[in-house]
Amino acid sequence: MRADISRGTTVPEVFETVTELTVNGRPSVLSLDTRVTLLDALRDHLGLVGTKKGCDQGACGACTVHVNGKRVLSCLTLAAQCEGRAVTTIEGVARAGAPHPVQEAFVARDGFQCGFCTPGQIMSAIALIDEERAGTDDEIREFMSGNLCRCGAYPNMVAAIREVVSEGNGNAVI
Amino acid sequence: MRSFEYVRATEVSDAVRLVSARPDAAYLAGGTTQLDLMKDGVLGPGMLVDITRLPLAGTERRGEALHVGALTTMEELAADPTVAERLPLVREALLKGASTQLRNMATIGGNLLQRTRCRYFRDPDVPKCNKRLPGSGCAAVEGVPRMHAVLGANERCIALHASDLAVPLVALDAVVHIQGPTGERRILLRDFYLLASESPDVENHLVHGELITGVEIPLLPAGALSGYLKVRDRMSYEFALTSAAVALVISDGIIHEARIGLGGVGSRPWRALDAERELVGSPPGTEAFRRAARVAVQDAWTLPGTAFKVELAQRCLVRELRTVSGVAA
Amino acid sequence: MSGTVVGAGINRVDGPRKVAGAAPYPSDFNVHHQVHAALVGSTVAAGRVVRIDTAAAEAAPGVIRVLTHLNMPRLERGPMTALGASPPPPMQDDLIRHYGQHLALVVAESPEQAAAAARLVAVEYERTEPLLDVLDPKAPQVIDPWGTDSDRGDTEAALASAEVKVTQTYTTPDNTNSPLGLFATLAIWDRDRLTVHDTTQWPSMVKETLAAVFEVPESSVRVLVPYVGGAFGAGLRAWQHVILTVAAARLIGRPVKLVLTRPQMFSCVGHRPDTVQQVSLAANRSGELTAIDHRTVSSLAMEDDDYEAVSAGSAFAYRCRNVVTRDVQARLNRPAPCSMRAPAEGQGNFALESAMDELAYALAMDPLQLRLRNDTDVDPRSGLPWSSKALRECYQVGAERFGWSSRDPEPGSMRDGDWLIGYGMAGCSYPWYSVPCSARATVSRDGSALVLSAVTDIGTGTYTVMTQVSAEHLGLPLGLVRFDLGDSDMPAAPQAGGSGLTGSLGNAVVDACGRLVRRFAELAAEDGESPLHGVPPEAVTAGGGRVHVKGESSRGESYIDILSRNGLPELSADGSSTPASPEDLGMAPSGAFGAKFVEVRVDRDLGLVRIARVVSAIDGGRILNEKTGRSQIIGATIGGIGQALFEDTVTDPGTGRIANGTFGDYLIPVNADIPDLDVVFVGEPDRFSPIGTKGIGEIGLVGIAAAVANAVRHATGRRVRSLPITIDDLL
Repeated sequence: MRADISRGTTVPEVFETVTELTVNGRPSVLSLDTRVTLLDALRDHLGLVGTKKGCDQGACGACTVHVNGKRVLSCLTLAAQCEGRAVTTIEGVARAGAPHPVQEAFVARDGFQCGFCTPGQIMSAIALIDEERAGTDDEIREFMSGNLCRCGAYPNMVAAIREVVSEGNGNAVI
Repeated sequence: MRSFEYVRATEVSDAVRLVSARPDAAYLAGGTTQLDLMKDGVLGPGMLVDITRLPLAGTERRGEALHVGALTTMEELAADPTVAERLPLVREALLKGASTQLRNMATIGGNLLQRTRCRYFRDPDVPKCNKRLPGSGCAAVEGVPRMHAVLGANERCIALHASDLAVPLVALDAVVHIQGPTGERRILLRDFYLLASESPDVENHLVHGELITGVEIPLLPAGALSGYLKVRDRMSYEFALTSAAVALVISDGIIHEARIGLGGVGSRPWRALDAERELVGSPPGTEAFRRAARVAVQDAWTLPGTAFKVELAQRCLVRELRTVSGVAA
Repeated sequence: MSGTVVGAGINRVDGPRKVAGAAPYPSDFNVHHQVHAALVGSTVAAGRVVRIDTAAAEAAPGVIRVLTHLNMPRLERGPMTALGASPPPPMQDDLIRHYGQHLALVVAESPEQAAAAARLVAVEYERTEPLLDVLDPKAPQVIDPWGTDSDRGDTEAALASAEVKVTQTYTTPDNTNSPLGLFATLAIWDRDRLTVHDTTQWPSMVKETLAAVFEVPESSVRVLVPYVGGAFGAGLRAWQHVILTVAAARLIGRPVKLVLTRPQMFSCVGHRPDTVQQVSLAANRSGELTAIDHRTVSSLAMEDDDYEAVSAGSAFAYRCRNVVTRDVQARLNRPAPCSMRAPAEGQGNFALESAMDELAYALAMDPLQLRLRNDTDVDPRSGLPWSSKALRECYQVGAERFGWSSRDPEPGSMRDGDWLIGYGMAGCSYPWYSVPCSARATVSRDGSALVLSAVTDIGTGTYTVMTQVSAEHLGLPLGLVRFDLGDSDMPAAPQAGGSGLTGSLGNAVVDACGRLVRRFAELAAEDGESPLHGVPPEAVTAGGGRVHVKGESSRGESYIDILSRNGLPELSADGSSTPASPEDLGMAPSGAFGAKFVEVRVDRDLGLVRIARVVSAIDGGRILNEKTGRSQIIGATIGGIGQALFEDTVTDPGTGRIANGTFGDYLIPVNADIPDLDVVFVGEPDRFSPIGTKGIGEIGLVGIAAAVANAVRHATGRRVRSLPITIDDLL
């Protein structure tokens, strides 16, 4: 049954697992503590610090990445679970050195302030367009609501996404 | 987080055998509850068996029911054409839960097994929690409850079952398919859960090692009116304060069949059978809806912080009954 | 100088890095050989540590050291800062002052190991009864903590003889800053030299604090924070976890990295303190205010300070002869509060502007007319004219854009199906704040400029607007100018906070650029080969990458030519700003003013409150960048919507534990909560500050909660005097 743990219990062992991760098309083999999340593997073991940790509890969206083309939270995904799956991070969305249209629109529309939630917002926005959920402003707002922004740049993000969709850059493949 | 062994299963039987063999082993699917609680220090399994590669994803129409593989994600089920056509209340409940990212991860089986959001349960530094430490008491009752249960709750435990999806599923008489070490069994979802007031620490009828393999959802009859209303502080990305899943079959001005599930109020997804009985045979109308709503919450157990839910749940149910039946205010 | 570069809504210069995930925040830095720390917090709110058992943690895999009060070096408290005392030094004794107080720091090879081992530290407590309620009579009180209490006229008599009077109590809860970036510290000692990557809004202060606490020269300490990751006031202090991390790195002899958890962000880095406010307003029948009496009790930590003069703003909001304001802080066993976006005004304005609305109902007067009738062109405290004030224009322009005149004054009269529609408004201000600042400007042989100051850009747009100001004053295109910040080795600078930075820094940058242009002019004037030979420097200006005679752009030469001929790789100048004294200038320095108009929709059965529209009319003085300026107002408006409808940091009554310290439980607005928000800037450049700006970081938040509450009153007939306004209040 479910083991409940509390303070002051015995000393645990450490388990490791070897995982082959393919991130932004690049494979790498990592020997990791089994506890390492995809988020921490990206940040601490692959040096891809663009993906952010805002809560580590699945409640803010800052760690959003794409796994097999779907947006997910990397903080609640074990790195080991991603073996053989394609992981895309903010570092992997630009094409041929040019920023993704969503990245450009976020700059043009000032869709961020401190910028910390921004990689997650952009990963969500790219997926949102792919999901065909950017038809109306209300739809954009609803399906961008899994990404918190404390600076309060939401209306500008909506404007940026609206702009990308209206210019037909929506289904830009990454 | 406590250290654990990680094993990836490729066959259902292997997974069940692995978990059954170790009392401290647990399944890992979407991870949205499991890993969260492990990080909080509430759960500390010694072994996680990753079941995300088992062949349990996808849906299949079987006559007048939809069989949903346990590893189908919430987003996948919401996109299912049969769900959109014949189970619109399920689709609404799915899309009002969590966020797209979480719905891409969370599985249907895992959703039914999600643990309460009670912050007193989720913080192992809180010494009193009958769910975590049977017999220790309930800090939520002495604390500041709001997102807590008023039905199937008492001074022992007021933990809320926070699933949106399970609300229409109990109303629809969905059936859970379970694989155990000795074979398969099926159980009606509304019989699957135990009440926190009776057994805070044991939440359902699964035995250690048993795995939910699928859920069978009877389709609504053609012409049924249905919907899901979720009331919450924020417009999105929040658990329900109250919710109502409603399905009505109305003909000749009379309600012939009524199905009602309530969310945000119960220690388990709440089937309001008494309220349904109140409606059947009546013409749809505000009076009947109010009567049914009163019956639905008549056994509420409240605290100052949760008392408002009794009124809110009634208003929520009346509103949704009005909306699906087209009855004006 | 063309003047077209400043004011234009150019894109953020740091935008491309931010959208690429290439802007490095403090938690993004890693160094070779670093180790990781995790904190252990108290699970009681008051008492004493009787025993702390670290044996299991020390034996856990990867653990290097466990620090507690038993083995922590004795440290002095950090020095006073411009915002008050430093936090007390951590883990110096066995006393427990609040739930979550740091009791141990576990350092291990990996973050997973540190976090797991932290759970193995066992603490035995001797508990005492905690003081948790701001109105607890046993709580020690600090009376008039900042000398801001006001007494004008005879308020008691004016209230006693009032024709119309309103007296009510308003409450606001603890709110938590909750930036998305988890606060992080990475401390690296190299013998007695210390480098720290730290989430702070104030690198110069952190440097001074660490130098004093660790007894090394300030020149040996470097604090780096090129990108902050939000803070909203939480980064205005050198918090205890920073001291602990630096201490651990010194003891262990390896770099130590600590990233707070989200729950720790609720208990370790401040919050907006709760308040209980009593407001009495009196007026004659024509709506002229005859008395304002505003008294506040707010919460404070047992052993720390917080500048939060909640009532003080009521002394200068309106023309009124008889005014009393009182501020009292109650010391409690709760985590330390600190500034949170629009500190003090955020709470005080809710009470005052709610009371003004109540007074308007009592007078049967339009709430907008009531504000206009009591507007004042002079600072009522000093009688000096405001250095700029376009509040009247804010009211008028805002009302017109909003369509205020279509408001039916009868509560509950405007409907759309099940939705009750309410219009509410509030006036607001955020007081002037300015402190000395310095900057350095350099032009290099390649013709590019670099301007530096040890400030931070917390998302306000400092990188961008200072690039614009520098470009204008050096006469260079934007592409040739870089403004850099976030490094305490740069010229000393104040905090990004209090809506004071843009003015202080802007004036320092203008000064540095002006001095640099003059140095070029002086070099040229002394140079027989220069077309500017013999031209007095004050007759020279900059433009097009050149210095030239004012009004005669053909007579001059480029920076590059001057540097080349003089054999110089670059030329620099230091500049600074010091705020003038109001008495010398004969005017009262103005902060920003604003008028907020809100339409809410309230579901008449379900009590749901939705924000349908907001119009913010803002007098922010000169706006340096229309785009980032508008973003400031929008962002703070959303903070105000959070304060109005969602945010409430709940403390358990018995234990002092924060009951909702996660993003799943402490609600901040999500995208779906926010409609398009209308912002209009009105007014003129401010006369007090040479650069003409007024801070706009806070003004967007102030007034929103009151306008929402007033709109809810209009929609439903219900007056909610306690924030946040939730469904429970409206059933």
